[in-house]
Amino acid sequence: MSMKQAGGNRKPGGGGSGPAAASGAGGGGGAGGRQNLGRSVLSQIAFNGVYANMRMVHVLTSVVGTKCELKVKNGVVYEGVFKTYGPECDLVLDAAHRRCLEQGMGPRREDIVESIIFKASDVVVVQFRDVDLNYARKDNFTDAAVSARLNGEHKEKDLEPWDGGDQHGSDSLESLDTDVSNGWDPNEMFKFNEETYGVKSTYDSSMSSYTVPLERDNSEEFLKREARATQLAEEIESSASYRARVALENDARTEEEKYTAVVRSERDTHSLGSRENKYIPPGQRNKEGMSWGTGRQNSPRLVQSSPSVPSSRPGPHDYSPSSGTDQRVVNGGAPWPSPCPSPSFRPPSRYPSGPTSLPPRAATPTRPPSRAPSRPSRPPSHPSAHGSPAPVSTAPKRMSTEGPPRMSPKTQRTPRTHRMPSARGGMPPGPEFMAHSGDVSTTPPPRSSPSGGTWSSVVSGGESCTGSPSTHRPRSPRQNGLGGAPGGSSPQTATAPVDPVATPVSAMSPTAASPASNRAATPLTEAKESRVQEPRTASPVANKENVKPAEVSPGPARALSKGPPAMASEHRKQIDNLKEFSQVFRVSTPSPKELPPDRGAESCGTTAPEAPANEEKASGPTPTAGGTTGSKPSSPGASGPCITAEQKRGPDVTSQAVQTSGPSGKLDGKEVKDDKKDPVPEQVRKSTLNPNAKEFNPRVFCPQPKPATTPTPPRPQGQPSPSIVVPQPPTVYSQTVCFPQMYPLTPVSPGVQVSPPPPALALVSAAVSAVPSMPQQRPDQHHPQGTPTMMHPATAAGPPIVAPSPAYSAQYFTCSPQQFTTPHVFSPVMQGSARMMAPPAHGQPSLVSSSTTQYGEQTHTMYVSPGPMPQPYSHPGAALHPQPSATPTGQQQQQGQHAGSHPAPSPVQHAQHQAAQALHMGNPSQQQMYSALAPTPPSINPGPNPQSPQASFPSAQQAVYIHAQQVQHGYTPSHMAHVPQAHMQSGMVPSHHTTPSHPPMMLMATQPPGGPQPPLPQSALPPIPVSSTAHFSYMAHPPVQPHHQQQL
Amino acid sequence: MAATAPGEYFSVGSNVSCLTCLGQQLQGEVVAFDYQSKMLILKCAPSSGKPNLSDIVLINLACVSEVDIINDRSETPPPLASLNINKLSIRARTEKEDKLSLAYAVSAGVSVDGQQLFQTIHKTIKDCKWQERNIIVMDDVVISPPYQAENCKGKEGSALSHVRKIVEKHFKDAESQKSVQHSPAQPAHKDSALTS
Repeated sequence: MSMKQAGGNRKPGGGGSGPAAASGAGGGGGAGGRQNLGRSVLSQIAFNGVYANMRMVHVLTSVVGTKCELKVKNGVVYEGVFKTYGPECDLVLDAAHRRCLEQGMGPRREDIVESIIFKASDVVVVQFRDVDLNYARKDNFTDAAVSARLNGEHKEKDLEPWDGGDQHGSDSLESLDTDVSNGWDPNEMFKFNEETYGVKSTYDSSMSSYTVPLERDNSEEFLKREARATQLAEEIESSASYRARVALENDARTEEEKYTAVVRSERDTHSLGSRENKYIPPGQRNKEGMSWGTGRQNSPRLVQSSPSVPSSRPGPHDYSPSSGTDQRVVNGGAPWPSPCPSPSFRPPSRYPSGPTSLPPRAATPTRPPSRAPSRPSRPPSHPSAHGSPAPVSTAPKRMSTEGPPRMSPKTQRTPRTHRMPSARGGMPPGPEFMAHSGDVSTTPPPRSSPSGGTWSSVVSGGESCTGSPSTHRPRSPRQNGLGGAPGGSSPQTATAPVDPVATPVSAMSPTAASPASNRAATPLTEAKESRVQEPRTASPVANKENVKPAEVSPGPARALSKGPPAMASEHRKQIDNLKEFSQVFRVSTPSPKELPPDRGAESCGTTAPEAPANEEKASGPTPTAGGTTGSKPSSPGASGPCITAEQKRGPDVTSQAVQTSGPSGKLDGKEVKDDKKDPVPEQVRKSTLNPNAKEFNPRVFCPQPKPATTPTPPRPQGQPSPSIVVPQPPTVYSQTVCFPQMYPLTPVSPGVQVSPPPPALALVSAAVSAVPSMPQQRPDQHHPQGTPTMMHPATAAGPPIVAPSPAYSAQYFTCSPQQFTTPHVFSPVMQGSARMMAPPAHGQPSLVSSSTTQYGEQTHTMYVSPGPMPQPYSHPGAALHPQPSATPTGQQQQQGQHAGSHPAPSPVQHAQHQAAQALHMGNPSQQQMYSALAPTPPSINPGPNPQSPQASFPSAQQAVYIHAQQVQHGYTPSHMAHVPQAHMQSGMVPSHHTTPSHPPMMLMATQPPGGPQPPLPQSALPPIPVSSTAHFSYMAHPPVQPHHQQQL
Repeated sequence: MAATAPGEYFSVGSNVSCLTCLGQQLQGEVVAFDYQSKMLILKCAPSSGKPNLSDIVLINLACVSEVDIINDRSETPPPLASLNINKLSIRARTEKEDKLSLAYAVSAGVSVDGQQLFQTIHKTIKDCKWQERNIIVMDDVVISPPYQAENCKGKEGSALSHVRKIVEKHFKDAESQKSVQHSPAQPAHKDSALTS
């Protein structure tokens, strides 16, 4: 897209001409000195050329201001200070002179030319001697920067645990182990010094020079004081603060253990254990201790190395990641660690589901549908998850009660369900369940009050949190079933949990029937947690963690209801590992028999949630469980373990799930009160996973919510209501797009940013089968981005070097941080405010930020996403923005989708919006904006960077992103104004295009603004209205109003 | 973007060697390549030998032959760090001013020795400038032709003695260099290496 746009703007001829023209120019240039005419034309044509090349721009910019020797074709050498370069790679040297033979002599004043512009075609070689490429680097102290200094070493160094072998061969080490003495005795030292050096020690053990000896007597006074001193000492030493401080010094865990990036496998620990008297590496020392888990989870190795229980920890994390990304976001601080771990980790376990898994998911067509359903479910859940339990509960309730009634959405959802089924394996329940789910989902919208739109938005936001788990589960299962493979363990695990839930749900069928209902249930569960805690009662886990689990479970339940069987079967097949885990869980599950049948689906859901949570924790196990459950209801297909579990359960199943959850809860939480301690312990014992699972759950929830949010919007929109339907396609697109980008991002940056992306990716992947395509798209996307950026640069080009560099700086600095944070923040805020409930999890700023970052990434991804996606996006964008209309017009459907996306508000929408904006940017109308942004060229560059995994990508993308955001948000006042209008228009456009879809669209749009659900607003436009609080500051209120009007 | 297709593109990180139409053999690691403009940027071993530095060579592939990819790297290139443009622009400006300052001195008839001495001092003390044919260091020490240690004048103190040491070392190094090879072309580099 961007390419085309760029071409259109700059070159009538089209993109193809660019290279040719450039080359041609080069050839012609060789002969002639300076042909202004030719040049100007050429430069414009080639503009994209060099400026489009991120690395070229980066390197050339890095050497700005250094002396260089430039050799021209005729052999003449010029020396000068490299000033800048043009799009055609024309070079400018300041204070340049022609080097004469007498090298010793400096150039004379009269020999120096202020500046010389060399045509690229005239240049043979330019040498920059002894350049410090890190001179202008901003991040000189990051790991990446430091490691980048390794000359020519591009591969990341993998930290490996030191293995000293058995140490039998090293006498020195052995001697240390066997030497019991504690060094030299002081007297020996004194003696040695006296004999060897003739130094006589004056040491006096009484330390009379420093202190006065204590005179002990039996006087009453002394005894009193002594008693008093003893008492005080006891008080102090027994105080918590004292202990805490002492613990700091005497913590069993060494810093290495706490912060090491090197994961030590259990083997190591075991081996260590064998030699008790020997030095035990810090990492190994605490293996037994759980504390380790979190820290190590980060490291991929741990996960890999220890698949066993210990590994399970990582696994859970991973899983959670899948649900992921959401979790990360939610957790913010807490989750981070695990997510943060190394990128490598993510890919494998976690996000595998996310990044890696996503692609796979994408590959499977079915997933998209599944995601959509999941999304709906998520929305409900999200509220609960994000918000405090109470809010959640409310939301859920609404969902459950209101949902069905309100929703015409049911129909919409039904589609979802159908999709879900198809994805899962053409589940029979699909329609019916779907409908139910739809109802449920619809209910969520009620929350938002506005209509589906708000709801969707809410869902996206809230769902991501609470619902996300559920949604994730469903998704994951589906994904597993569909893609199964990529998601790998993480997705699968996630799915697995879901499945279990689903099974319970299926049993519950009435309640469970609809994923939405499940979701509702989850919310309910959450609500319960806050309020009744019935689910909790059912499962000890329910407690704090339980809530999450519950949420999760609901998700699974929902999923199950939808098309658990098929899902389960698929999952089973795909996830052998999961099965194994599930088996483990099963074992544990059987023990807990508490059933919360009372609530029926809800109860199931709640229980299920817990179970899912457990499962999730176990990642592996949960999936299997899910599969089993699913199999029961709909199909026998579920893997043996799963089935067994299901069979046992019937109603019990739910209870089992609960029980499992309970254990998990215990593990995780220690927080959980173990009503079912017995079962729990067993479970715990059996699966260390549970503990992990707990941790994961929270995370998972969070992640899920987020992902869900993005995904949800599409699904809900599309399926639930007419508007919804339209939206779905968009969502899908957006999702797909997001995924690709997400991928790169995630892999690249292990850090927070990455983590966020993963979730998004996961969602996307789930939603869209496109995943496979995604990767491919990425490159394309990048290119497009590059081109757009190119455009900018071109405009900015005037001052070649300067412009580009500024752009970089600007992007990095202002744009990325502010824009991202603000938008994201807003969205989070919005969610929180709207649902109040959700906030808790997300509550943490860090979380929000992470989420925001994720969003940003997503958005970026959107941009990047190429062709297909872009178009849709563009359309949406068009819809959103007035300008876009031109492009969008072509595709009404897309617009509709876009509209849908808008309602969705969720991240996806944002992404879309952003993309749209980006696209718009490309459009002439927005060009103005661009020009303003001009500096962006660098940003463009960033686009390419995306390829590079780490921060660079984000930054680059961000830059782009920023642009988009800027336009939308109107960082600049003028922009702001435009934005509102654009939004308004966009809303309008949709209606025009598709009558059916329009209404929904309108509704959606309206809902977001009016509705409390800021989440939706998260998308650039919606957010503003919603954000009223935060956004308002940025935006004028007017924008919001317009939206409402439009909607109305 | 830098392309990935071997044979047609150079992937970042691979080692390439080529021969320019001017007979200059170049070899280095690809850090950037632009297909459209046929521009290839290599990172080569630093002329000064300092490990933290590197020579950057921009090559117009239209004027090059015998391009050999010594070894290809398929791994993803490292991410690009953001650049401090302000810092770069300042560097460009100061470099330009320094050069013009030198040119001004040369025009005033400063000898080669004087120029070289100035460069040497400038590497250690940034605060030095030409005043006619005199070198002013830190606005305190004046070195007048023929720029020997005894020509350093100023307020007695650590500054003066320090400058004198620099001047003495410069000429001592210059002597040793001349004896080894008569190539004034790279005096600056050698001096820097020695001094550093």
